Amino acid sequence: MRDLVWLIRHTLKRTFSNKRNILLYFGTPLIGIIISLLVYGGSTAKDLHVGMVNHDPHYITNDTIRFIKSIEHISVTNVKESEIDDKITSGKLDCVVIFHSGFSQSVQEGRPSHIQIVSIRGTEITGFIKSYLYHYIDNIAALGQIAKGDEHTFLEMYKRYQQAPFNMSVHSLQDTSKHKYMTYQTIGYLLMIMLLSAGNLAEIIIKEKENRTYFRLLSTPINAKQYVLSNVIVNMIVMTGQIIITLIMMDTVFHIKTNIPFWQMTTILMLFALVAIGVALMTVAFASSSASSGAMQNLLTVPTCMLAGCFWPVDIMPAFAQKMADFLPQRWALDTLLKLQQGHHFGSLYLNILILFAFALAFFLIAVYKFGRNHSVGNFL
Amino acid sequence: MNILEIKNVTKKFGDFIAVDNMSLTVAEGEIFGFLGANGAGKSTTINMISGLLRPNAGEIKILGKDIGKHSHFAKRNIGIVPQDIAIYEDLTAYENVKFFAGLYGLRGSQLHERVEEALQFVGLSDKQKSYPKNFSGGMKRRLNIACAIAHRPKLIIMDEPTVGIDPQSRNYILASVKKLNEMGCTIIYTSHYMEEVEEICTRIAIIDHGKIIAEGTKEQLEAIITNTKDVWIGVKSMDNMDINKLKAISGVKAVQCEENMVKISSDIGVNNLNRIIQCLMNDGVEIRSLEEKSPNLETVFLTLTGRNLRD
Ligand SMILES: Nc1ncnc2c1ncn2[C@@H]1O[C@H](COP(=O)(O)OP(=O)(O)OP(=O)(O)O)[C@@H](O)[C@H]1O
Ligand SMILES: [Mg+2]
Repeated sequence: MRDLVWLIRHTLKRTFSNKRNILLYFGTPLIGIIISLLVYGGSTAKDLHVGMVNHDPHYITNDTIRFIKSIEHISVTNVKESEIDDKITSGKLDCVVIFHSGFSQSVQEGRPSHIQIVSIRGTEITGFIKSYLYHYIDNIAALGQIAKGDEHTFLEMYKRYQQAPFNMSVHSLQDTSKHKYMTYQTIGYLLMIMLLSAGNLAEIIIKEKENRTYFRLLSTPINAKQYVLSNVIVNMIVMTGQIIITLIMMDTVFHIKTNIPFWQMTTILMLFALVAIGVALMTVAFASSSASSGAMQNLLTVPTCMLAGCFWPVDIMPAFAQKMADFLPQRWALDTLLKLQQGHHFGSLYLNILILFAFALAFFLIAVYKFGRNHSVGNFL
Repeated sequence: MNILEIKNVTKKFGDFIAVDNMSLTVAEGEIFGFLGANGAGKSTTINMISGLLRPNAGEIKILGKDIGKHSHFAKRNIGIVPQDIAIYEDLTAYENVKFFAGLYGLRGSQLHERVEEALQFVGLSDKQKSYPKNFSGGMKRRLNIACAIAHRPKLIIMDEPTVGIDPQSRNYILASVKKLNEMGCTIIYTSHYMEEVEEICTRIAIIDHGKIIAEGTKEQLEAIITNTKDVWIGVKSMDNMDINKLKAISGVKAVQCEENMVKISSDIGVNNLNRIIQCLMNDGVEIRSLEEKSPNLETVFLTLTGRNLRD
């Protein structure tokens, strides 16, 4: 036991006496957070891009457009009707407001019409615009009703209304779905980093075989099982660090709400850490040199992470790819977290947890079997 | 007391038998030499003693205890100096020795003292803060030894500790081996250099094809073949010479050719010199010189194994 601790301390010290490794193991998980901030726009709400088509040049229409421009987080551009489809489908515009000729007339008469909102993003966008726009138009229309068609009265009231200080408080909606996406993105990236780190750390076994120190170690009271165990523990320590650092940074620095209790999140990720160690030991057991294990790990990790949906939701992938993803542990870890976010009870996810366990167990067993058959000590002595 | 007992040990790699039913004992206080050509099975035997390989059959005891059942005990009493240098290039000389010694349970000031002692022993005290990547081959070999002795093992097994190093480092290492022995360590020493084994070993085993074919002190080994005499014959050319004809002459045990010299070892009681000369002359070989030599360890090895120690 004392010897085991001595060996673990030695491996940790050797690994982290190289400052680059500190950055490699504990800096890279944060890249995931930064990517998710870039993709999902960070903590400030994203601007809405609204296009305007004005077929009704009149002061009421112009003022309405000016009003929309004054709303926070909305940027307005004038477009031609012919460009609408193109700009909306390409995502350059979130929606387009079309003022058909007769709009100002209808407002003045108290029955607003001849206005149209085009969007493919559905109610979450149009609803936001509509709520402001219709509120404003309704107010003007109310003036029209009061004026009962008297142009002069309407104009008087309209001027006063326009001059009244506009008291409008804008609430950015707390967008929980955005936090969910960001959590998913960050954790997906963390899973990949964990797999790569586990691979790197397990590779120490091969490197120590290559520099022969492994064989000297085995001639000391340390045996092969303790030696591999020490590597597993080092691996576990490093990955626990990665998990804790990522979760704490997400919460305290970047204010990303995972919507999952800390201990549940940690449990699932630690379980995945075991899977990652299993995969790493398996590659090491099969690899003939540190170069080939490195290549094997890269070849395995990045594509499976893509397939398992570590970088984007699996639903956007073709059906056969989704089926294949079911054979990947990353998929199950992410699926568990998604379900926890959706409010599933931790206990009800025993099947997911069992499957993750099974993955870890299977990889460990394959590694142990293969290690047991690697009798060759080469020309140690 | 016997520090090492090997009884009927066999090690196979697939169908290949690397160590073949070997038995051997080493007493406490000996410097035991292990002689054998490349692939004879020396390292395989040492790997089994140190617990890296498990024998297919037979038993190995350290200080009377079976190493399979008492591996901890065995490992604590053995120090291995491996043939291939096994040190960390990214740790200083001091850290290297400290790490390995720590695995034997040493801690604190005792650990520190033992590490300094070991480094001083191999003459690396002034280099203890340096990294092995800047060391010469000889210095690395010496550090390789220091890592094996800091825990003060009773039995030190050295597998070719002087291979590929400068004469100064080699002399230093040979002197250290003697000093360790004087301090009470038993040493098993493997080398390709016959002179080294002759110089320091108190007992020698000759191993070939996984078997011990002779064992004893230098004098005892030479006695095995004192019933052999060597005749060195200088010839002009060996083109027409038929070695098999020479070997067929009664009393001839071995024939070895080197440049323009033929060495013929025969039983001492048989007088066959005439027939040898006749045989050569019949083949038209021109004899230039003729000399009889007394045997040495090299002769012993050659006589017994029929091959040279170094290829
Ligand atoms: N792991 C292994 N698998 C298969 N064959 C092996 C293995 N280890 C050693 N051998 C074979 O066993 C034989 C004995 O090897 P060993 O290393 O013991 O020789 P040695 O006497 O130490 O030689 P050297 O002087 O070259 O170090 C050799 O023929 C070698 O090829
Ligand atoms: Mg050898």
